[in-house]
Amino acid sequence: MQKSIRTVNRGFAWEMKHNRTLYLMCIPALLLLLAFAYLPMGGMYMAFTNYNVVDGIFGSPYVGTENFTYFLKGNPYFWNAVRNTLIINIWGLIIGTIVPITIAIAMNEVRNGLFKKVSQSAMFFPYFLSWVVIGAILYGFLTANFRVDRKTGELIITGANGVANRVLMALGSDPVRWYAEPKYWKAIVIFLDVWKWAGYNSIIYMAAMAGFDGSLYEAATIDGASRFQQIRYLTIPMLKPNVVVLTLMSIGRIFYGDMGMIWGLVGQNATLLDAVSVIDTYVYTSMRTMGFGFSTAIGLCQSVMGLILIILANSAAKKINDGEGLF
Amino acid sequence: MSTAAHTGKQHSAHIHRSASDRWAKIIAYLIVGLFGLMCLYPLLLTVTVSLTPEDVIAKDGYRLIPSRWTLDTYTYIFAHSGARILKSYLVTIIVTVVGTLGSMLVTCMISYAISLRELKYRNVIAFICNFTSIFSAGLIPWYVVCVNWYGLRNNILALMLPSLFSVWYMFLMRTYFKAISPSLYDAAKIDGAGHMTIFFRIALPLSITALLTVGLMYALNYWNDWWHALMFIDNRDLYPLQYYLYSIMSNVNAVSSGRVPSGAAANIRLPAETVKMAVTIITIGPIIFLYPFIQRYFVKGIMMGAVKE
Repeated sequence: MQKSIRTVNRGFAWEMKHNRTLYLMCIPALLLLLAFAYLPMGGMYMAFTNYNVVDGIFGSPYVGTENFTYFLKGNPYFWNAVRNTLIINIWGLIIGTIVPITIAIAMNEVRNGLFKKVSQSAMFFPYFLSWVVIGAILYGFLTANFRVDRKTGELIITGANGVANRVLMALGSDPVRWYAEPKYWKAIVIFLDVWKWAGYNSIIYMAAMAGFDGSLYEAATIDGASRFQQIRYLTIPMLKPNVVVLTLMSIGRIFYGDMGMIWGLVGQNATLLDAVSVIDTYVYTSMRTMGFGFSTAIGLCQSVMGLILIILANSAAKKINDGEGLF
Repeated sequence: MSTAAHTGKQHSAHIHRSASDRWAKIIAYLIVGLFGLMCLYPLLLTVTVSLTPEDVIAKDGYRLIPSRWTLDTYTYIFAHSGARILKSYLVTIIVTVVGTLGSMLVTCMISYAISLRELKYRNVIAFICNFTSIFSAGLIPWYVVCVNWYGLRNNILALMLPSLFSVWYMFLMRTYFKAISPSLYDAAKIDGAGHMTIFFRIALPLSITALLTVGLMYALNYWNDWWHALMFIDNRDLYPLQYYLYSIMSNVNAVSSGRVPSGAAANIRLPAETVKMAVTIITIGPIIFLYPFIQRYFVKGIMMGAVKE
């Protein structure tokens, strides 16, 4: 019985001929993937060579795993980048989950239509800005133009000071040369990452909340539950599956830094780069200083780690969400 | 007696609850309002600084409401580097328009094809696409292939081709196409229509909102892209707007770090504070103007993507 329902298996050639137009429609996209995703994978062979432009990818001298041992064995810049990547991503994940959920829940309580609309538009706007633009706007907050007189120790303002320094001075503190002080920048980067994505992510949580069963809340109200209790015992537990999926996805990408973010905010500022250099920016900078083979080897390790983590995260998601994975 | 006590207790519980609910509401309004301001304030500040005279900035620092207003910065920019900015604007516009149209054509075709159940290998194709999002060659092999094999260095195509096809938007588009009832296609097939006809005459016209949503998302990516220019473009004539802003800001950053020797720092002529903010506003101007009209499409797209197929 079962067999007769199944479609007849007609083979590859028949399928190609029969659905020729549809397969042709896939060709441009697949060619682009081939050119920019799959062919470069062959180029990963560079990780095992001492690459030079003249001999090309496959002609350069083979050096075995030399590149790998070189960065894994006590290259402080590499391990600093790994550490920074993990710190920025883990804090970004924690704060970047709490803030959008808080906003989504608060937004759900707001009844005034105009207030809701205006504030949501404002919150969503940073998503539309590139990191370069955010870097420029940040400059208006952090720019510092002052010097301390050597003899008297007096503070002399030499030019425009950004909002941060004006606030510090109004509070009676000394201004800070933000762009020469690396210690603040991990926090600044994490803050801005959360800031940029909070509106976007809160939309995801609001979409989930819109699907919640309203009768549960009505029942809770009749039973005398306050709004706080409804949030604590209904909304947050019901958001858990979304949080789990998004968290697992982030864990799958925990070794990937956002090079656009770091480069847009800090760029060529060598003083700050040590504090916020992530694996991706280290690959980019070491491309010039350490050679292409070396930085390809780092990228290869990153990709393999990423693949392993995402497969693990996917199987974890399947276990938690009754067989539904991340992709 | 007991009933009275009971109602009294209930009454006080009710009062208690409504007081706590009022607090919930006040806190909610505060959170939303404060975060909204945190997002709006930097933008407003950037706008007003670009409209403030340079000497006022130097004296008072960055202020939301300056003591004097001026349009001088903008006239100065267009008098001194107007040609440069217009050229960058042109590059950005070409890349955004051509790139988005190309992206939409490529993306819609494949997502239409694999949205159909009759396509036997649709899951194989979906996997080929998906695999690139979980495993990548990494920056360097990608860069070497692009430069050495495809000759994308200092080529305007470098700003379009590598980002022409996004797997994520393809899956978003497929979700929309899947929502179209197959009976519509069947009716057309009976009338003798081929897949190209069905695609252009039925599937696309029925997905106007989806096309706008995904198209705007692509367009925003092209408009905001400076990273590909960082990778491939040295020729100033091919700088997109965002990269022009980047090149201004990175000089500024390098000097403020204090690492550049003072002799060299004196030689780098920094643009005035107001100029930086004005270039920023020029860069995001079209986004600001279009934002009220395009925002809802993005919200729709994000919600659609958030709900798993």
